[in-house]
Amino acid sequence: MSWWRRLRLLDQLVFLAIFLWLLERLAAGDTRALPWAVFHHADPLTAAGLALAHHAIPVALGLSLAVVLLTLVGGRIFCGWICPLGTLQELVARWATPRRLRERLGRNRWRPLYRTKYLVLALLAGWAILGSLQTGLLDPLSLLARGLAGAVWPLLPVRGPVPGGWLAGALLAAVILASLWIPRLFCRAFCPLGAFLGLLARFSLFRIHREDGRCTACNLCVTNCQGADEPLGDHRIEECMVCLECIGDCSEQAITWRFSPGRPPHPAIPDLSRRHALGTLAGGLVLGPVLRVAGGGRTTRHADAIRPPGAVPEDAFLDRCVKCMLCQQACPTGAIQPALAQAGVEGFWTPILSMRRGWCEYTCTRCGEACPTGAITPLTVERKLGLDGGEPVRIGTAFIDRGMCLPWGMATPCIVCEEMCPTDPKAIWLEETVARRPDGSTVRLQRPHVDPERCVGCGICENRCPVGERAAIRVTTAGESRSPAAQMLAPRPDSSRKGTGTS
Amino acid sequence: MKDGDGQPTRREILTGLLRTSVTAGAAGTLYAVLRERPGPAPSAPRTFDWRRTGDAASGAIARGPDPAVNVRRAITAIGGMKRFIGTGETVLIKPNVGWDRLPEQAANTDPQVVAELVRLCLAAGAARVLVADFPCNDPRRSFTRSGIGPAAREAGATVFHPPRLGTVPARLPGVLSGLEVMALLPKADRVINVPVVKHHSLARATLGMKNWFGVLGGGRPRLHQGIHRAIAELGAAFRPTLTVVDATRILVANGPQGGSLDDVRQTRAVAAGTDPVALDAWGASLLRLDPRRLGFIAEAERLGLGTGDPRTLEELGTA
Repeated sequence: MSWWRRLRLLDQLVFLAIFLWLLERLAAGDTRALPWAVFHHADPLTAAGLALAHHAIPVALGLSLAVVLLTLVGGRIFCGWICPLGTLQELVARWATPRRLRERLGRNRWRPLYRTKYLVLALLAGWAILGSLQTGLLDPLSLLARGLAGAVWPLLPVRGPVPGGWLAGALLAAVILASLWIPRLFCRAFCPLGAFLGLLARFSLFRIHREDGRCTACNLCVTNCQGADEPLGDHRIEECMVCLECIGDCSEQAITWRFSPGRPPHPAIPDLSRRHALGTLAGGLVLGPVLRVAGGGRTTRHADAIRPPGAVPEDAFLDRCVKCMLCQQACPTGAIQPALAQAGVEGFWTPILSMRRGWCEYTCTRCGEACPTGAITPLTVERKLGLDGGEPVRIGTAFIDRGMCLPWGMATPCIVCEEMCPTDPKAIWLEETVARRPDGSTVRLQRPHVDPERCVGCGICENRCPVGERAAIRVTTAGESRSPAAQMLAPRPDSSRKGTGTS
Repeated sequence: MKDGDGQPTRREILTGLLRTSVTAGAAGTLYAVLRERPGPAPSAPRTFDWRRTGDAASGAIARGPDPAVNVRRAITAIGGMKRFIGTGETVLIKPNVGWDRLPEQAANTDPQVVAELVRLCLAAGAARVLVADFPCNDPRRSFTRSGIGPAAREAGATVFHPPRLGTVPARLPGVLSGLEVMALLPKADRVINVPVVKHHSLARATLGMKNWFGVLGGGRPRLHQGIHRAIAELGAAFRPTLTVVDATRILVANGPQGGSLDDVRQTRAVAAGTDPVALDAWGASLLRLDPRRLGFIAEAERLGLGTGDPRTLEELGTA
């Protein structure tokens, strides 16, 4: 192994280890303010997506400028040296490297399929222009974090199940295992971040250079090529991942990586027909609204799409969420789950709270600390609970199903929802009553009621309700603070019920 | 037997595969045969009894501003910790760490009471002191904000809570049947139950016997359907070495998790003893409830678990 091959492997493993360590610390509830989203903040695709969809880029995403500059100087170094998903694919591909040289050459030749990623990028750009940020579906950092949070961490005994997680895990597994067949197939053919960096890399100052006089056209340079960028012919600079394997594999010392700005790239424009590219962009512009309407549209409020506390209004949320599910990884109770159909088509794989899996812990603000894009704004505990004099942050309201509730429907004592209610005074209050039982006897009961002015929708009542998998008290998005349209109560001039200790 | 380009032949590959699988199979069989067979899952006892046999029931109430001093005085008055803890024993302390609340909010046992008990057990010769509970809120938050996690660790205990602490099947009787219990219970030689005195909307008071909810696994919310009977059956299923009732502060409304300091009363007392029913009766009287008119105390008396008369406890007064 040449020294830079070792160096690159070491470098990749370090970045992968940091990525996994941050996820592990986030799930373990580490109370330090670690840079949970540092990889996502360095992601220019996220920054560009937010610029198009949200017309603003959060300050933290300024870190992505470093990756842009890196790419303008040296090409897709991010892909070959940093991206943890790329590393995982490369490790699998290394393990499955065929022994026959001819097969290895075949696996690393450029294929027309590899143009697809530019179409993916065009499609995502089209949607983003319409205000629907879907880059997270295929963004490698989101894809990896989401797959790990949804299908790998739940395997550990300390984390709860994630019913929708298998799908995110299946995509991740498919991406990684495809490298058994073609190394880095996802990077080469589908990655929108790779495509974006590829467009930038066309202007890079450092690039692979071949001495034509020395080259014997032996093809050895293709043997370990990560980007399938064909250093032997006219080098495809936008495909090159700067793995530099070709330099070591060349027996004639014909290849160098050096400062050579201003050389015309090959091919002169990305290897796409203009018709394909424009067609895809136009398709995205048409498909976007169709999917939005098919999913219920943005004006429809989804009862079960309970967003994490601090989430911005739904319209802005869908412009910002990159579906990385760091919030899921951060949630100590396991309530945050990837939405499947609950939040419409646009909201696929965005975070929602499932109260039978967990609940929103009253004093917890972890999800907002982890969110890379401000889709969930960071809250202080004082702000969340309304201790700063404002209204508390409500994520929904609990409703009692009187037919299912033990004291209401079955003349059986139970006060678990009231006992669990964390607000002070409690949002669930009990009404003493005497009820008749089937045998004619009577029983003294305390029947629960929800006070919608006090309920914050935390859902611990739904989580602990002893009635079946479908609880007799359930939270919906009604009354959530972030949506003016969701308010069911008219504002009261008399706010004497606010504050504490006045019951 | 190589062909032209040095690749193994099909025959070689097949023989190799066969050899490997036979070896692996033999090794696996050997392992399965030699390995210690786990019998049918060890059935936990139907009930748990950690009492020191031959002890006459005793109990004492100590009052004063320092919770740790109160604990020491009460324990000394009933014979000292050595009377209850043997050298080399494993002691489990079960405080109430139900909620993500500060000590001042009186929703959890006072951390100083727990820490002092840890120190007394270690001084009495205990090999290990474990502090554990299954909180209702996020366990990490509850153990940190209650102050019990840091205080117990500093005093020398090992602290356990979910997700690392799980449950094991237990064949508990009556309304408790089917519920699992904290995995540490079968490992403890002695158990000290350390409840805090709180209001509860259904049981009216949550005290020592109600504190056993915190060693039960999932499904425990359904016990509320006949709460008085369930609490008494818990008292019968779990017989602690000692009960230490923390009344440093008590929560008189909005229980069992409270929140507002308006609902907290500073009572500055600790009671310790071997009669869980008498201690619960004392706690109930602090909440201005008539102990014998409380369903769970009457039920526990009927089951012969102790006396519902708090006057059986020795009043030590203010230090």
